[in-house]
Amino acid sequence: MSERTQNRTQVADVDRSLYDFTFSEEGYERYDDGLTPDIVRAISAKKDEPEWMLNMRLKALDTYHAKEMAPNWGPSIAGLDMDHISTYVSPKTKQAKSWDDVPQDIKTTFERLGIPEAERESLAGVGAQYDSEIVYHNMREDVAKSGVIYTTIEDALHDPQWEPVVHEYFGTLIPPADHKFAALHYAVWSGGSFVYVPAGVTVDYPLQSYFRLNAEGAGQFEHTLIIVEEGADLHFIEGCSAPKYYEANLHAGAVELFVKDGARLRYSTIENWSKNMYNLNTKRARVGADAKMEWVSGSFGSHVSYLYPTTILQGDRGQCEFTGITFAGATQDLDTGCKVILNGADTTASVETKSISKDGGCNTFRSSVVVGRRAANARVSVSCQSLMLDDISRSDTIPAMDVRNATASVGHEATIGRISDDTVLYLMSRGCSEAEARTMVVGGFANPVSKELPLEYAVEMNNLIKLEMEGAIG
Amino acid sequence: MTTSSSATLSRVNTPPAQTWNYLRANDITLTVPCESRQGDVYFALPRLFEGIECGMGQQVTDWVESQATDSQYVEVKAGQKRTEPIVVSSMDAGVMVRAGAEATIVVCAAGAEPLPVSADSDSPRFASLAAELAGDTGKGPAAPVKTSAALARIIAERDATVHVLEFVAANDGVQHLESVGITADERARVDVRQFFLGAATTAAGLVCSLNGSSARFDLTCRYLGRDQELLDINHVVRMRGKNTRTNIAESGVLDGHAKKALRATIDLIHGAKGAEGTELETVLVLSDDVTNKTMPVILCDEDDVVGNHGASIGSVGPEQIQYLADRGLSQSEAEALYVRALFDEAVLAAPTHEVRAVVLERAKEVLGSQIAGDLVEGLGLADQPAKED
Repeated sequence: MSERTQNRTQVADVDRSLYDFTFSEEGYERYDDGLTPDIVRAISAKKDEPEWMLNMRLKALDTYHAKEMAPNWGPSIAGLDMDHISTYVSPKTKQAKSWDDVPQDIKTTFERLGIPEAERESLAGVGAQYDSEIVYHNMREDVAKSGVIYTTIEDALHDPQWEPVVHEYFGTLIPPADHKFAALHYAVWSGGSFVYVPAGVTVDYPLQSYFRLNAEGAGQFEHTLIIVEEGADLHFIEGCSAPKYYEANLHAGAVELFVKDGARLRYSTIENWSKNMYNLNTKRARVGADAKMEWVSGSFGSHVSYLYPTTILQGDRGQCEFTGITFAGATQDLDTGCKVILNGADTTASVETKSISKDGGCNTFRSSVVVGRRAANARVSVSCQSLMLDDISRSDTIPAMDVRNATASVGHEATIGRISDDTVLYLMSRGCSEAEARTMVVGGFANPVSKELPLEYAVEMNNLIKLEMEGAIG
Repeated sequence: MTTSSSATLSRVNTPPAQTWNYLRANDITLTVPCESRQGDVYFALPRLFEGIECGMGQQVTDWVESQATDSQYVEVKAGQKRTEPIVVSSMDAGVMVRAGAEATIVVCAAGAEPLPVSADSDSPRFASLAAELAGDTGKGPAAPVKTSAALARIIAERDATVHVLEFVAANDGVQHLESVGITADERARVDVRQFFLGAATTAAGLVCSLNGSSARFDLTCRYLGRDQELLDINHVVRMRGKNTRTNIAESGVLDGHAKKALRATIDLIHGAKGAEGTELETVLVLSDDVTNKTMPVILCDEDDVVGNHGASIGSVGPEQIQYLADRGLSQSEAEALYVRALFDEAVLAAPTHEVRAVVLERAKEVLGSQIAGDLVEGLGLADQPAKED
């Protein structure tokens, strides 16, 4: 039998020039590398926190040291040495409400990333974090008047009205003992957002937080806490990027989302960390009765990623939709996916993910679907598609399902392959060139995710993928 | 001199790629009897078989080799079409199917009594061994469980055709371990049919390595879990050769407090250009007390391949129940039909009288004597000899 030979699609690497620029850290406050109780106390003192928070940090530090990474799954993080990571780096500036009050180098950074422009055009509020601290935070007046709170966790902790709320929710959905890097997060967290949407309020435009890690050999540990009260509606966007260094950086954020009965929350992320980043982020949502959680996730950057947004459908008739795309290129090992836990009756979950691997990049789709005994008539559909663009890359699919209710229905499907010749031939028979045909196929592959994003982010995502076929067929 | 104790085999049935440990889906831990056979002479398989990867892992292979009193080696000569099934009759069996030959290999675990086996003309010195160990497996004095085990390693040379039939039809007094390893050379065709019809614990692992180009592997696994039964399955296909093909179809029925974990992995290894692998599982869950875990994994280190998997887990839907009710069947009768269909298939597949008897014995326990009798009659097997005769 003759061997099959096929031409390979050439997809350009992500153009990172937009993100690979740095400014000097001169004059910044930078804590010593490593993890000690003194560093944790210093971070807490710097923020003038309540005692319960300091106690939580110190206990989490002990947990971090006591816990091990699982030896039997996941990409290696051997290159991550916490003794060479500074857990707190802060520019010498106060949080501003006007971009004019932001130091020039930081303002330039965010302007190049398009944040102020996006704020003017299509956002209800913006938070911008630079290294360990939020440097800019603002929200439209009409949104504030509706009772929506969008601030930093630090500011909420100093507000007598919101401190008890933070105390009630903080660290309850992702407990510090959840895993090693959750514990690390709670020990040294800094920055992030606190969002509270009152019952019945619909926020017409998205809120956005953008996280920029400028410092070399540093970590970013922001905490996002969002509470969407009964019948309320919010779209929250999270963006992140960093310039490339040859020293490891670490991102170990935490996102806790509380979606109350009848509420809806869409959480969109475009993650574009540089390829020296260890991205060990934890995101979790608890969803009430008749409520809906929507995740849109694009993962393009980082050296190693462990990222599995989790949804707990606690109330009856809760819904979850997860739409994600992961692009792994050279030197990247991205272990991404999601987890869904269905505890309520008549709950539904739909997961659709795509991954593209090229230039030796490794993609792993990892998921778990757990249907509890109380989840009568639960319905779950998981679809995972992986595209291999060369024979030096890797793509693994590792789903797990645990079903404990007889009336539940769980469907799962996954495919891995390359662009089929039949598809290309079909399109060519209708007048496309081969290059155009392949471009269309790859573009169509990513389309279900990009169409879920606001226009400007869809454009950014398409820029990131750089789905230009360069005409180099063969 | 033989002395008895027990041993714990941890991380058994581990798939090549694992996931979160808190899900408790990565492996199983088993307590097995362990007899010291110091001073005994063990006639091992030819060294060639040592390199074959088996489904339950090296710990189980080592344990079986330490417990087996003997091994069973069968060779089917090149070009020979052997019609008489090779019944695995030792804990440790190796079958070599030479180039262009064809053979059927049967592994069967029965209830408390050892399965009577046919004499194997090719290896008479191993013919009378029963694959069973007596011993308390640590489940407490109130529930002494016998452990039986089979380790089968099979080599299919180029152009060989191998049919493997596995039956586990024991009862709640038996814990059964079944570890199979198969290698397939160029254009070899291997088909495996598994029927896991019951035992207190059934732990079964199978690895098929498609080393040669255009080799093919088809696996059909049918299982039933009920009462407190525990079923743990690990299927792995290593697709190394170019243009290799794999089709895995798993389906089963779970009832009572049964616990099942199924791991099925298609490993598309670098160089396996043109390879295509598909796996599909359908599970019918009849009770809210069932625990049903599934891990259908595809590992892909090659671009010119196709890998697909699908899983469907559910109950008999309201529309289906209504359809059947319109035809006079209650829900329990409809559900029983699914179980009966499973036994129908197993009885039809049984290649010998002995195996058929084992399946029917189990059918009597599950379905009752009358339905078990109907099985034979309904399938027109009452006066029909088994396939071998």
